[in-house]
Amino acid sequence: MTKESNKSGDAGVANPSLGADLVIPALALAFAVYFFVDIAELAWEAKANGVLIGTVLVVLIGIQVARLGLQLGRGEGSFGFESLLGPREALPARLALVGITIAFIAVVPWLGLTLTLLLAMAAALRAMGLKSWQKILLISFIVAASAWGLFIALLETDMPHGPVEAMLSKILSK
Amino acid sequence: MTWDFLAGQFAQQFGLWWIIWPAILLGIVVGILPGFSPQNTLIMLLPLTLAVPVEQALAFMIALYCANHLAGGIPAILVKIPGSGGAAATTLDGYPMTKKGQAQQALVLCFTASVFGGLITTLATLALLPWLSKMGLYLRSVEMVVVMLFGLTLIAVIAAKDFLKGMIAGFFGLLLGVIGTDHIYNTPRATFGFLELYDGVPIVPALIGLFAISEALVMIEEKMIVTEEGRAKAVSAQWAGIIDGLRLSVKHWWQIVWTAFVGLFIGIVPGAGASIASFVAYQQSRLWSKHPEKFGTGIPEGVIAPEAANNGVTSGTLVPTLALGVPGGSTAAVMMIVLQYHGLVMGPRLFATNPEVAYGVFVSMAVAYVFMIFTILPLARYMSRIVLIETSYLAPVIVLVTIVAAFVERQYAFDMALALIFGVIGYIAQKTNYHVTAILIGVILGPLFEEYLVRALRLSEGHPSILFSSTLGNVLWALLALSLLLPAWRGWRRSKAIADAQFREED
Repeated sequence: MTKESNKSGDAGVANPSLGADLVIPALALAFAVYFFVDIAELAWEAKANGVLIGTVLVVLIGIQVARLGLQLGRGEGSFGFESLLGPREALPARLALVGITIAFIAVVPWLGLTLTLLLAMAAALRAMGLKSWQKILLISFIVAASAWGLFIALLETDMPHGPVEAMLSKILSK
Repeated sequence: MTWDFLAGQFAQQFGLWWIIWPAILLGIVVGILPGFSPQNTLIMLLPLTLAVPVEQALAFMIALYCANHLAGGIPAILVKIPGSGGAAATTLDGYPMTKKGQAQQALVLCFTASVFGGLITTLATLALLPWLSKMGLYLRSVEMVVVMLFGLTLIAVIAAKDFLKGMIAGFFGLLLGVIGTDHIYNTPRATFGFLELYDGVPIVPALIGLFAISEALVMIEEKMIVTEEGRAKAVSAQWAGIIDGLRLSVKHWWQIVWTAFVGLFIGIVPGAGASIASFVAYQQSRLWSKHPEKFGTGIPEGVIAPEAANNGVTSGTLVPTLALGVPGGSTAAVMMIVLQYHGLVMGPRLFATNPEVAYGVFVSMAVAYVFMIFTILPLARYMSRIVLIETSYLAPVIVLVTIVAAFVERQYAFDMALALIFGVIGYIAQKTNYHVTAILIGVILGPLFEEYLVRALRLSEGHPSILFSSTLGNVLWALLALSLLLPAWRGWRRSKAIADAQFREED
C-alpha cells in the first residue's frame, strides 16, 4: 500500500494527472457494455448475477467520472497520463519487457521452452541495462536450464518442445 | 481409536521420514511457483504414488500437499507474488513487512502460523472427526452464500483509503469472475469467443498477471525493492531475526489458533478452499483487532491470519473426503483416486474397515507439519536475502518464469497471453491506486458466490427468502451484519472521543 501511494503519481504531486485515473474505469465500462450485450438473450439464472454486478459497476464508474470532472473543473489536476507512464526513464525498459514477453509467447511454440527462455532472458536483461554479456549469458543459461530441469525433466509438463529439448531427449535416452 | 493405536500410527509415520522429507522439499519448491497447485503436481507424480504401498503414497501426498500450502506465502512476502490463491491475502501485510526490512520476521511468522495452524487443526480433526464430518451437511448453499459475503466484504476493507476506487476494482473483478458458462444451462457469457474461457477466468494466470507481472513492471522504477533502511537490515540479517519472528508468533498464539479454525471449518465444505478461508480470516482479524487501521501497513497479524487459515484448510478438505466420500477439494480428489486404486473405498465404512488409513491420514499430516518446521525455519534467514537482488535482475526473471508457470496448470498457451493481459491491467491498477487485491478477490470469489447463490435460488424456485430460511444461515447473517456495523460503530466512538477531548481542551 505504501508503495502504491508512493508510486502513483497522485500522492504528493502538485498537479496530479487525473486522466490516468480514468483508464481502469474505461476498461471496466467497456467490458461491462460488452457483457450486457453478450448476455442479453440468456435466461435469468444465467445473467442475474452479472446484471446486478455490472449495474453497480456502471453506477460506481459514473460517480468516479463525475468526481474527476469536478476535480478537473476546480483545477485540481490535469487530464494527463503522467502518473501511469512515469517515471520517464523507466518507460523504455518497461515497454521492452512487455514486448519481449509478447515475443516469447509468440515464439515458444516453435523454438521450445528452453531456447526461447534463454533468448528472452538475455534480451530482457540487456533491456534492463546490463552491459556484461558474460553475466547476461550466465544468468540466462541458469534460468533456462532450471526451467528445463523443473518443467520438462522432473515434472514432465507439456511445455512446448523445440530443438534443444529434442537434442537433450536424444542424449539422455542413449 | 485407542491411545496405543494412535501411538503406533505416529511411530509408523515418523518411520516414513525418508519419503516425507523429499515430499516436503518438492512441495516447497512447487509451492513457491505460482501455477503449481498441489493437485497438478500430484497428478504428474501419479505413476510414483500408484506404484508404492498405500501408506507411503499417502505420507508422500499429504506432506507435499501441506508443504505446498505453506510455501505459497514465501514469494507473497518476499516479492508480492502469491504462490497460490490462498496466499494472496498474505501479500497485504507480508510485502510491506519486507519493504520495512522485516522479511525474516514475516517469513518466520508465515512458517509458524502455517505449521502450528495446520498442526492444531489436524489434531483437532483427529479428536473430533465424527462431529466435524457432520458439519459439511449443515453448511449448504444458503450458508455458503453468507460465508462468501464475509470474504467479499474484504473488498470494502481494502477500499478504505479510497472507497470509490476500491469498490470499482472489486466490482470489476467480480464482473470478470462471471466470465464463462453459467451454472444452470452452461451457456457461455462474455468469453470473447475463446473456448479457453468457458470454464471461467483461470485463477493462476489472473494471480500471476495481477501480482507478479504488474509488480515486476512497477519495481524497475527503483534499484531495489526495499528501502535503504530495509536493505541495511537485510544485509545484516542474523539469527536474531528468526528469534524475533518466533517471539512475535508466541505473542499472537491465540490468533494462530482461531484463524486456523476458520480455515478448518471453511475447508470442510466441499468446493470451498484456501482462498476463501484466507480472505475471511484476514477480514475477521482486522475486524476484531484493537488497531484495524494498521492492517495493510505490515503487521504480524496480517501475515498470521491468512497463513494459519490457509493451512487449517488442509485437514478440513480431507474430512468430507474420508468421512463422506465427497472430495473437499481438487487435491483431495486426486488423493481419493490413489486410495481407490489401492482398493480403499472412501466413506463412513473406511473407519471400520481401514482405521489405520482413515486416521493415518491425519497422523501423517501432523507428522509432516513437525518435520516441516525444522526443515524450513532455518531457511528464513537465507530466503530473506532475495530482497538484496537488484530489480534489473529480478524483474526479467519474475516476468518470464511466471509467464511459463501460467502455462502449467491447464497447459494452454492462451493462459500465458491472459497472464500478460492481467499484468498490464494490474500495472495500471497499481499505478493509479485501484487495488489489485480487490480485483483478485472479485475474480476468485465472484464465481463461487454466483454458484452458491444460483443453487440456493434454484432450490426455492427463485424466492430470495430461502437465504433466510435456516437457523445457522441466520446466525451467519447476523454475524455478517455485525462485521459491517462494528467498524462503523468503532469509527463513531473514536470520532466522538476526539470531539470530547477537543471540547475538554477548549474548556
